Amino acid sequence: MKKRLLVATCTLGVLTLTACGSGNGGGGSADGDVTLKLVAADYGDKASNSSTAYWEDVAERFTAANPKIKIDVQVINWNDIDAQVKTMIQSGNVPDILQTGGYADKVADDLLYKADEVLSEQTRANVIDSFAKAGDVDGTQYGIPFVSSARAFFYNKAVFAKAGIKEAPKSWDDLKAAAEKIKAKVPGVTPYALPLGPEEAQGESLIWELGNGGGYTDAAGKYTLDSKANTEAFSWLKSNLVENGLTYANPATTDRKTAFADFAAGKTAMLNGHPSLIQMSKDGKVDYGVAPIPGRAGALKSTLGVADWMMAFKDGGHKEEVRKFLDFAYSKENTLKFDETYNLMPVTKDTLKEMTTNGKHKDLEPFFALLPNAVFYPLGDTTWDSVSAEIKKSGGTAVNDPAKVLGELQKKAETAVADK
Amino acid sequence: MSSNSSTASRPARKGRGGLARLGPLPWVGPAVLLIVVVVLWPVYEMVRTSFLKISSSGFVRGSAGFDKYKQLFDEPSLPSIVVATVVWTLVVVTATMGISLALAQLFNQKFPGRRVTRWALIAPWAASLVMTAIGFKWMLNQTAGVLNTAMTDLGLIDRPEDWLGNPSTAWPWMMFVAVFVSLPFTTYTLLAGLQTIPTEVYEAAKVDGTNARQTYLRITLPLLRPALLVGMVINLINVFNSFPIIWSMTRGGPDSETATTTVFMYQLKNSDIGQSAAMSVVNFVLVVGMVVLFLKASRWNQEET
Repeated sequence: MKKRLLVATCTLGVLTLTACGSGNGGGGSADGDVTLKLVAADYGDKASNSSTAYWEDVAERFTAANPKIKIDVQVINWNDIDAQVKTMIQSGNVPDILQTGGYADKVADDLLYKADEVLSEQTRANVIDSFAKAGDVDGTQYGIPFVSSARAFFYNKAVFAKAGIKEAPKSWDDLKAAAEKIKAKVPGVTPYALPLGPEEAQGESLIWELGNGGGYTDAAGKYTLDSKANTEAFSWLKSNLVENGLTYANPATTDRKTAFADFAAGKTAMLNGHPSLIQMSKDGKVDYGVAPIPGRAGALKSTLGVADWMMAFKDGGHKEEVRKFLDFAYSKENTLKFDETYNLMPVTKDTLKEMTTNGKHKDLEPFFALLPNAVFYPLGDTTWDSVSAEIKKSGGTAVNDPAKVLGELQKKAETAVADK
Repeated sequence: MSSNSSTASRPARKGRGGLARLGPLPWVGPAVLLIVVVVLWPVYEMVRTSFLKISSSGFVRGSAGFDKYKQLFDEPSLPSIVVATVVWTLVVVTATMGISLALAQLFNQKFPGRRVTRWALIAPWAASLVMTAIGFKWMLNQTAGVLNTAMTDLGLIDRPEDWLGNPSTAWPWMMFVAVFVSLPFTTYTLLAGLQTIPTEVYEAAKVDGTNARQTYLRITLPLLRPALLVGMVINLINVFNSFPIIWSMTRGGPDSETATTTVFMYQLKNSDIGQSAAMSVVNFVLVVGMVVLFLKASRWNQEET
């Protein structure tokens, strides 16, 4: 009997909870006040630097300036945010503003405001062009970049000195020559870390393909995964780095975190990394250098850029309020604070200028120079998510059999496009 | 005897009514309900999903007919995955049964410390699969792994190897771990079987002058058949469906070269839920078919002897 009572209470509890959950969806209230629901990803790695504190502070200052608009802040960690947002959308409890990793799939289901509807002219002009363009789906901007990161070439200066290498490699041949010297003179160190495992396959592949003038799509946005340039890039990797033992024995199963950890431990001499490797290297007491990424003929002028995104949902219908908030959130004061807290790269021109000139970010300088020329994944393509999943899964094995693997990937990408 | 006839013959008890008239339903009801909710409904959903077109953000875009099955069977890596699954299942189950037979025999003897060793055997069973698999994954790690260091120090290998990065070495290691975790259950099942064999039978055999080998083949094994059968069927299903070991150790990679059909189904989930569901359906059919075949075969054997 007692047990049954317990079950009943639990069921009742669950029911009430669900009811509460969906009841909060509305937002507006009788006296003209509006509550915007902001959902954001947590960039902190512990309670003390959680993004909750940042957003609550922004919300508080915003509400002080705009008393009629309240912000309901909900910060979710990276592991759960995709699933939770999916649930929110399914259950009709859609956020007004969302800051997370990708946007294109929401555009496919027509859930978002266009960027020019929720950003003032001034704020839009302030966003770095290459990033703004990466937020386009079929020529219309929906995704609003929030923070960014870019890849650059890292090398271990101490290992280079031991191997007698004077300067950072500029071309693939330089890189191979350097790797051979390192293999000969500094045993126990992996000359070049090639992380083509599921974590980084899509990034590292694109970097090498860019080095040969290739890429994932052509100018018209059609997938060109098995283009001649791409196949050649992998053939070069296969016959020069992999088969000569100048990188990991099994690149297709090596993840980025292994490569980064090895670099920070001085166990690997060269790799393509992003700014978080700076702190890791310092912690590991590795004397590192940063240089532009080597290309087939010479150092690359562009690099792979990665961005996280802000987007506004149409569901709540608070276009004006959202615009006010986003203009506030994208002011230099706020973006600078966020970027400096997490050592991330800015996406707005004024913050970029401030960070380049205020002298506090010498480490990041090589990355600042690369940002305006960053090349992105085809983020605005609504099939990119599934194509990217395929590349993560099997793309790395292209170092074993370039033509076959890339050909199969291209076929899958074309199926995905046809399915759209 | 139905409840109807009992109420008719003893009208005085009519008042008990309701519940009794339902007969056994109230007793089997919860179990049936459980099976419907936990087994039948998910199977239905799985089959239904395999005929749907679902976008990457999770929206259902209508029926796909048999497209997902067509796509699945067009996957260039599918044939090698199926072969790998068959080899994986056969090798692991055979090795497990063989080693367990020996172990059960050993633990059936009286020797000092038997109680402790019997307890020790439970350890791989008591630890979670994922924990064991991750443990082995790190022991095999190229730069920091204990096993790599130990084998290098013992001179078995020249330098640390990336065991799990290469399918040809990853498979044997994963099979080893799979056998390791299957041993306790199988050994205990067989041990229980051994203990049900009456000692009189052995005494009679001794009187008839059989040698050890004859005793084992003619008496122990035939009388162990029920236990062997249970152990084998459960292992077949378990090993065929074995997901945590492979997923924790290699994630089926590189590509799908260390994937069984179960792991492949999970890999597909990232790109296409519908195709993943189609793989599940195929898996389901395979496992049901395999067990039915096996049971048929073993019963047919029994009739022969």
